[in-house]
Amino acid sequence: MTLDRLARTFANLTAVAALGVAALAFAQGSPLPPDRAFRFSAALIDSRTIEARFTIAEGYYLYRDKIHFAVEPATAGLTVPPLPEGKVKEDQFFGRVETYRGGMVVRLALKDAKPGKAIVIAAESQGCADIGLCYPPTVQKVTVAIPEGSLVPGAPTEAAKKTWFN
Amino acid sequence: MTCRLRHWALLGAAGAVALAAGLGFALWDRTPPDASALLALSLPDTNGTSQSLGQWRGKVLVVNYWATWCGPCREEMPEFVRAQRDLGPKGLQIVGIAIDQPAKVIEFAKELGLNYPALIGSYDAVDIAKPLGNRLAALPFTVVLDRTGQVAHTQLGPLKPEQLRTIVNALL
Repeated sequence: MTLDRLARTFANLTAVAALGVAALAFAQGSPLPPDRAFRFSAALIDSRTIEARFTIAEGYYLYRDKIHFAVEPATAGLTVPPLPEGKVKEDQFFGRVETYRGGMVVRLALKDAKPGKAIVIAAESQGCADIGLCYPPTVQKVTVAIPEGSLVPGAPTEAAKKTWFN
Repeated sequence: MTCRLRHWALLGAAGAVALAAGLGFALWDRTPPDASALLALSLPDTNGTSQSLGQWRGKVLVVNYWATWCGPCREEMPEFVRAQRDLGPKGLQIVGIAIDQPAKVIEFAKELGLNYPALIGSYDAVDIAKPLGNRLAALPFTVVLDRTGQVAHTQLGPLKPEQLRTIVNALL
């Protein structure tokens, strides 16, 4: 066996071993961290509008009444409209609760965001996984740049990965 | 060796490596964690009185992290109440750590007829659960300690009633 072939064989074996580990982790049903189960992003639509979006992984859901938004600096003046209707579930302790699956999009209004400055949208959410797990409230933050002068809608910005339990 | 034979031999070897890696990972993942930080923890109960988890050393201790906002937690709790009633006299002590507001915990405890202590959890309590197998700080999370304070079982997600009985009965 040539050295080259040996190296290739070793690389193949390593790849298969990695697959084995991944398969095992999957078989154990490793739940996603909340910032991946409930991925938050925000995009600038115009100087007064931010599109906030949660992309929810399959098998996970968010509670409608546990979603809260805030802006930094607070002087940017965030207004949050009523969130879209969710799927209604009867909870024996809480009564009628609404949940989102797949995703949720809402347009947030800014009263006074300064052009040329960045703002931070903080989104708090709380949700669960169908496998029978719930996550504590999690805050994800996205920085959105407010351009100078006329506005070109920006691409959505992914939320920073850091949350309180990291 | 023909080309085909070599191919199968290689595939077999790859499989063996994958299996060994998988088993290695599984064993590494199951190394019994240390519960000393958990037993050293003191948390307020629903009356605001500080309770040390160490006071239940010598019993089979089931520590259950829960919250009223966690549906799966509330669903598994009636079985904890039954287990505490049936096995408490034999040395079982269940303790709940609620990651929640005391008022909600009191209301739910009354509704359920909770017959074991409900302590109010802090971020410290959540941090202690991370090396015990709850890296995501998700709920419910349950740790079963034997009478010597060693971790006998950890469970992220609900425990099935028969599973709880089997684990606890083996330790009583």
